[in-house]
Amino acid sequence: MSMETEAMVFADYVDGETARVRRVKVSVQPASQGSVVRIEPTEGALVDWPIDDVRRIPDQAAKDAVVYGLTGDHPARLIVKDARLNAELSAACPDLKRRHKDPNLLKRLMILSTASVASVALIVFVLVPIMADQLATMLPAEGEQALGDSSIEQIRLALDNSKATGLKDCRSTDGLAALAKMQARLSIGANLPYDIRLHVLDHKMINAFALPGGHIVLFEGLLDDAKNPLEVAGVLGHEMGHVEHRDPTRLALRSAGSVGVLGLLLGDFAGGAAVLFMTEKLIQAQYSQGAEAGSDTYAYALLAAAKLPTVPMADFFDRLHKKYGEEKGLMSHLASHPDSLGRSEAARAANTVEGDFVPILTADEWASLQAICD
Amino acid sequence: MTIQILETDYAGTRRSLFWLALKTSVLTVLTVGFYRFWAKTRVRRFYWSAIRPGGFPLEYTGTGVEKLMGFLVAVVFLAFYIGVLNLILMFISFSLLNDNFAAYFTSFIGIIPIYFYAQYRARRYVLARTRWRGLRFGIDAGAWGYSWRAMLHWLATILTLGFLLPRQMFCLEKFRIDRTWYGRERFTQEGNWRMLLKPATHYYVGLVLTLLAGIGGYFNELMFTLFIVSIPWLLIGWVHLQINGFKVMAQHKRLGEFVTFRANPSTWRMIQIYLVGSLLIYLLLIAVASVAIVVLIMLDQNIFSDGNFEATFGVGNDGNQPLMFAGIAFLYFTMFIFIGVLGQLFITLPSMRHYAETLFIRDSHHLGQIRQRPRDEFAEAEGFADALDIGAAI
Repeated sequence: MSMETEAMVFADYVDGETARVRRVKVSVQPASQGSVVRIEPTEGALVDWPIDDVRRIPDQAAKDAVVYGLTGDHPARLIVKDARLNAELSAACPDLKRRHKDPNLLKRLMILSTASVASVALIVFVLVPIMADQLATMLPAEGEQALGDSSIEQIRLALDNSKATGLKDCRSTDGLAALAKMQARLSIGANLPYDIRLHVLDHKMINAFALPGGHIVLFEGLLDDAKNPLEVAGVLGHEMGHVEHRDPTRLALRSAGSVGVLGLLLGDFAGGAAVLFMTEKLIQAQYSQGAEAGSDTYAYALLAAAKLPTVPMADFFDRLHKKYGEEKGLMSHLASHPDSLGRSEAARAANTVEGDFVPILTADEWASLQAICD
Repeated sequence: MTIQILETDYAGTRRSLFWLALKTSVLTVLTVGFYRFWAKTRVRRFYWSAIRPGGFPLEYTGTGVEKLMGFLVAVVFLAFYIGVLNLILMFISFSLLNDNFAAYFTSFIGIIPIYFYAQYRARRYVLARTRWRGLRFGIDAGAWGYSWRAMLHWLATILTLGFLLPRQMFCLEKFRIDRTWYGRERFTQEGNWRMLLKPATHYYVGLVLTLLAGIGGYFNELMFTLFIVSIPWLLIGWVHLQINGFKVMAQHKRLGEFVTFRANPSTWRMIQIYLVGSLLIYLLLIAVASVAIVVLIMLDQNIFSDGNFEATFGVGNDGNQPLMFAGIAFLYFTMFIFIGVLGQLFITLPSMRHYAETLFIRDSHHLGQIRQRPRDEFAEAEGFADALDIGAAI
């Protein structure tokens, strides 16, 4: 008897049903007694915990007391301060550190992650674009202009490597006059809701793009690369097509939607990353194949109305194809169009002017246009 | 009837927290942030178990997986809300106002209801996963009700230039506490907001002085110098209001009929913890940074001479650039871990300890009869709060 009482140690016990803390005797019973941790309150029934089911609660701050529980989510707890009993429990209970494993957990986690990623993708790539397309057609012309005005300022800043003032428009007097003449000739067949505002930016990229509200940006690299004014006129007509079809407005609204989601994922609300992302989107101007073909057709119609041939535009596409070939989407958006050979065929087929025509610019004017940034 | 006073003791040591915080932070960085759900869970388990009202530790039973799943669910809702909302706001802003500033502004406003909603949901999850003496805590559903009330109270506080802050504090606390349960016993917040007026005295003095300085400065620039006094006064007054407001409101809380509370945190002690803690962190950072620089120079004496600087740091040498970026990223994240762990050690832990050690529970032997409440299956955990990064500390 005396041996047995010596082995008895007290601890605190809660049964998980009431908040009552009981002083209990705790002993580890051998296999002959069922291999249990026996918990004996001073009054009431004793509780046996099978040694396989006893767990130690992890990450506990206190070193003077160890908290034990049962496997699963059972709320009963035993708090043992006695070091010898703690050592005895460590030796007797084989799975003290084992954590509760839900067999379906990994599967559920996989399903949930996939569903989550798929839903976000659906929102960003389907829902937001559909809504943007609808809203773009409803936006009044003044709204589009305001959207474009703020976008072009962002683009000037983004393209200026010194990040100081933003890229300025190139505006040599003769160059501007030549540009205006070209624009006037092309506008004969156009019917736009607002004036086209042309900008030439001093940047080496062979690129041109349209912004909401009638802004069209040509890069100096494009003027340098062009072999004659009609190639530039073709590109300009193409961008006017985007303006007429409101493609940039759609794109801006789309990115406004996805920018918010991106910010959420990156933990950046209405911050710098958002604006940068949208600017990038507008410069890259990745429109659908259909939108591109539509703008090409629009450009052919403008050239035809201005009594100009479309063959130089076809030459331009051919040259792009030779220059960039398979390098899709790397250099500029004009080069990135997947099917520049097909486009060149279409441009040739659309030609309505054979033989002589009144040139869009004289040789001198063309030289001034190419030197607009000097 | 005898009244039993349960003291709260605090059992966490800096050393054990240091290893836990360091281990979980390193894992978080190595897993590009994915471990953060488990990291937060484990650190929380530590803090909860350190707080022992009546000698019996609190227990946090949330899991990292629950938090990750909650995050995944919340991200979908938020992606929908933010994606569609931003789009519509952009449209309205440009079609009606021809400007995008309004869109940025309103999209910020649009997040506010979600923010308070998330705050309440996070509280609900944490309470549902907190146990003491084997019984669960809990709070009734009511996140949207909390959200619009919180917005109206904030609006009232802002419109009255901050004068109604005590009222906002009390009303929102009452909303939360009156819905909070321990087992099957409900908490009640008694009293009224005017009892926070006394703790708010210094806050009001600071507020009036700051307003005087601002308005007076328009007429006489000398008045601006008043800011030197008024702004610290306002800040310390605000801290005092938070801490003493907590104290006064704790004295008017009841659990069921018979269990009441006493809290006695000290404003000066808390300010001391923050100042000393921040200073320590700052000094340690400087020390570590200096050691790093010295080691770097000793490792490569030639770095700064005869053009080796370029070679070492990869300037003008494409081959070394990835190495340089990796080095910078490594330093950046080490710094990030270091500051986070030190913050836990020198600010969070001492403030938790101070709050715990000054908390008393007055019980007339009714606590032991409180019965268990059912488990709150809470699928979304604190996903919204995680996605919006609310309460990033613990």
